[in-house]
Amino acid sequence: MGKRVLIVDDDSDIITFVVTVLEEHGYTPIIAKNGEEGLAKVKQDNPDLVLLDVLMPKQSGIKMYRELKTDESMKSIPVVILSGIAKRTFLRSQEALTEFGGQNVPEPEAYIEKPVEPEELAEIVKEFVD
Amino acid sequence: MFKILLVDDEKSIVNVLTISLRNDGYRVVTAYSGKECLERFQEESPDIVITDMKMPGMDGLEVLKRIKNLNEEAEVIIITGHGDMDSAIEALQYGASDFINKPIKDEALSIAIERAKEKIAIRLKLKEYTDDLENMVQIATEEVRRRSEFQSKLITSSNDGIVATDDEGEIIIYNPGAERIFGYSRSEVVRKMKITDLYLKEIADEFIEGLENKIVEKRLPWKDVTIVAKNGERVPTRFSGTILYEKGQVMGSVAFFQDLRELKRLEVELLRSERLAAIGQTVAGLAHYIKNILSGLKGGSYVVNVGLNRDKTEKLKQGWQMIEKNIGRISELVLDLLTYSKEHEPEYQDCFPNDIVRDVCDLMQVKADDHGIEMERDLDQSIGEVSIDPQTVHRVLLNLISNAIDACIFDDRGKKKWKIVVKTAREDAGMIRFEVTDNGSGMSDKVKEKLFSSFFSTKMGRGTGLGLLVTRKLVEEHGGRIDVSSTLNEGSVFIVRLPFGTLEKSSKIVVNG
Repeated sequence: MGKRVLIVDDDSDIITFVVTVLEEHGYTPIIAKNGEEGLAKVKQDNPDLVLLDVLMPKQSGIKMYRELKTDESMKSIPVVILSGIAKRTFLRSQEALTEFGGQNVPEPEAYIEKPVEPEELAEIVKEFVD
Repeated sequence: MFKILLVDDEKSIVNVLTISLRNDGYRVVTAYSGKECLERFQEESPDIVITDMKMPGMDGLEVLKRIKNLNEEAEVIIITGHGDMDSAIEALQYGASDFINKPIKDEALSIAIERAKEKIAIRLKLKEYTDDLENMVQIATEEVRRRSEFQSKLITSSNDGIVATDDEGEIIIYNPGAERIFGYSRSEVVRKMKITDLYLKEIADEFIEGLENKIVEKRLPWKDVTIVAKNGERVPTRFSGTILYEKGQVMGSVAFFQDLRELKRLEVELLRSERLAAIGQTVAGLAHYIKNILSGLKGGSYVVNVGLNRDKTEKLKQGWQMIEKNIGRISELVLDLLTYSKEHEPEYQDCFPNDIVRDVCDLMQVKADDHGIEMERDLDQSIGEVSIDPQTVHRVLLNLISNAIDACIFDDRGKKKWKIVVKTAREDAGMIRFEVTDNGSGMSDKVKEKLFSSFFSTKMGRGTGLGLLVTRKLVEEHGGRIDVSSTLNEGSVFIVRLPFGTLEKSSKIVVNG
């Protein structure tokens, strides 16, 4: 069994694509369709890396990211954001939440703006998992 | 102190009178002949001359004439012989102040002098008054001139065209502002043209009417008119005018023209730049959406390749689905773009609108179920079969329901029972109402404002931003209307009303409403 990578995205196309790339490079993909499900999977499966979309129904990546990075047991898991939203927009939303009395959260380990090439994705995953 | 020149050839009389007059407090100068009198008069400028009538050489009458010649205002009292009334009258005719008869009585003399003094005093006062009056007239004239100059400067320097006429419509004031608008120079217009020559008929007529009918209070309120200038240029202006009255009499007219060319030019420029910006936005939005489709296609082809290489049917299937889905998205985009860009005539057909609504609901049911959204149908059975464009109904409903589902999916306020209600109803005036209600995320006022603008989407690259735009176009081309009400975090209601035609199994359709 390869290292476990949790992919959190509501777009089934993206899931199919990312799962295929991960499998091709010997990782074990875990799938979650939204932030809520994602957090449950993190607690249950303790993945080595989280690939996180931002704009999702139920619980957005913005909220899930905060929960991951402010929880003692989960904050060490590297998170790579994979989103159609620009990095600067994501960081600004995090800053805004911090300003509203939230805890300060670090920047994500990496940020990929969609679309992503298979090789690029594999390389970034490799960087944080191996 | 009054100075009196006393003339008589009889020295004794001069001596006696001199003593008497000096006693009365006058300064006295004496002469003993007419000739000497004139010399003294010029040297001494006396206030009053008292001269004997009968003297050798130059007599009193001659002295009187000469003195009056030298100074019109000199007071001359004539001493005449007893009973010589003819001389006295003649002297008075030549401007003598008074006459006294010989033998001279002190009383008569002092009365004559007093009268002369009074006349001098009155004349002085009169002169003072006249001088003052002249002064005042001069000041008033200066003020009038200053004011008129100020007004004329006002008229000259006004940016507005100002044209004034007399009561016959002849132009008497025509400022540089008017020159710029009408293109005629001042010299071509003032006192050479009537308003009927300069103004458009519609404006000129109103003025002529005002001038002729002498209607009290004739004001033409501001309105936009296009002036045809000398060179044929059509100049947009804002115009106002009034008939001028003085004491109820028509004096003339005045008209004001504001040049709107610059304003219109800026408007055109603004419109152009807005259009360019809209095109820019459109292209950017389109590029973004196509980029998303492209990445879906690339992702799909990657998965297909993996399936081929590894001989995995499952991957082949998944990859191919991705490709097909994105081909579908491109087809929809092309269809939307075509609908958006082309005039579209609705094609009326006899059909059951409720059936179309059911079809669309069935189509969307899978997606709704996937996200745990309840779909309720509330269809008015009285609608039955009508003549309406089924394509319009289908596409409009598909768009609205798909939006409603998205509004529920992207409502991130935790667990909630999401619900969409699709309702139809037959309304008066040959309309069918289609209503799609959701309890999803709702819209802010900012979003509502942009709801029908091209390529505006809140779906972060998952929408073209064309959906509602196309929907509204379809609805309007069908002679219908679309209304939205929405509250942020509470949900939205979209209501579409479409007119339907009378059922007729032929191509000829009569549309109600």
